[in-house]
Amino acid sequence: MDIGVLMYCFDTDEVAYHGLAERCVSQVKTHLGLHVTIVTNRQTMARFKQMDGVEFRVVEHRPGNFRPYRGKVLAWHNRERVLAYEHSPYETTILMDCDYFVFSDRLLELSKTEFDVLLHDRVHDITGKNLIAGRNEGVIPLVWATVVLFRKTPNAETVFAMIRHVAENYNHYRHLYRIKYNNYRNDYAFAIALHQLGLGDFIPSPMPMSAVDVDVLDSDSEGVCFRHRGSIYHTNGQDVHIMDKEWCNG
Amino acid sequence: MQIGDIKRHAELSFEVAQAKRNALEKMHSRQLLAYNGRLFRADAATINLVSTLKQTNKDFYILDCNQNPCHVEDPDGFLRALIDRNQETLNQYHQLHVELAKKGS
Repeated sequence: MDIGVLMYCFDTDEVAYHGLAERCVSQVKTHLGLHVTIVTNRQTMARFKQMDGVEFRVVEHRPGNFRPYRGKVLAWHNRERVLAYEHSPYETTILMDCDYFVFSDRLLELSKTEFDVLLHDRVHDITGKNLIAGRNEGVIPLVWATVVLFRKTPNAETVFAMIRHVAENYNHYRHLYRIKYNNYRNDYAFAIALHQLGLGDFIPSPMPMSAVDVDVLDSDSEGVCFRHRGSIYHTNGQDVHIMDKEWCNG
Repeated sequence: MQIGDIKRHAELSFEVAQAKRNALEKMHSRQLLAYNGRLFRADAATINLVSTLKQTNKDFYILDCNQNPCHVEDPDGFLRALIDRNQETLNQYHQLHVELAKKGS
């Protein structure tokens, strides 16, 4: 297949990621009209509702990673993403987190250009309160692996081989780049690999994003409505990365 | 004016300002235009550059957003696409700007 969306989704005891993925797929179908492949495990796959134009690829996730979330420490199965190049059935892949919600056809425009790997290196906090971009978290410019476009080219293959190498030796690279967090993050693995190789292009506009403590209240076909410290905002026609993991599950 | 009223005004003006910032980001994002395999911003700088170069050259090279060179073989078509996208996005932003001005007053 020429172009499609690849997504990784593994439910944990605390978070039903499949609910986010179902909503994410619905948005992709509406605004991009692309085929979707979801890489997941058997337990999570059994929870998905029937969806047209979606293919599942079943793998066993590697446990052991974790993430801080609203004062708790939660399990986080994010290590399989480094295999995206091998898992993707598409010539051009839009690798997307299941908490990235598409409300425009912007990614189709980006896919029409020439690139090996294309991703965001800046974010736009939709609350305007600068809650996201961390300071002094490491000595490498952060990139965001939330949405990554790549093609099946030798350069992209090299980038993903490097990302796998970084992931396998993450502790070494984490210290080398003085990254203060000791959990594994794909954002850093991608940033380190691109820095080591000097490859990759960046999406010129920042990625709209809401921080962990922003509650999403609801969404419709045009955007999401969210609340932060008593203020209510909404987006319209803007793709957005949402850190609230519970909003699709009631 | 009571402190509660001042706070409400401050919150409203912050929300209006943030809605403008989000709309501006959306406009910039929508201004990204794929042409001949490269990525450009349909902004005033690109429009001016293409418009200027096309006065003296039938075709020319320019750099895209990621500093990759692009051969512009059809300057008229490219300029038309840039202006169309630029005006589409500015029109949307203008409409929102008018709505927000009413909200803030």
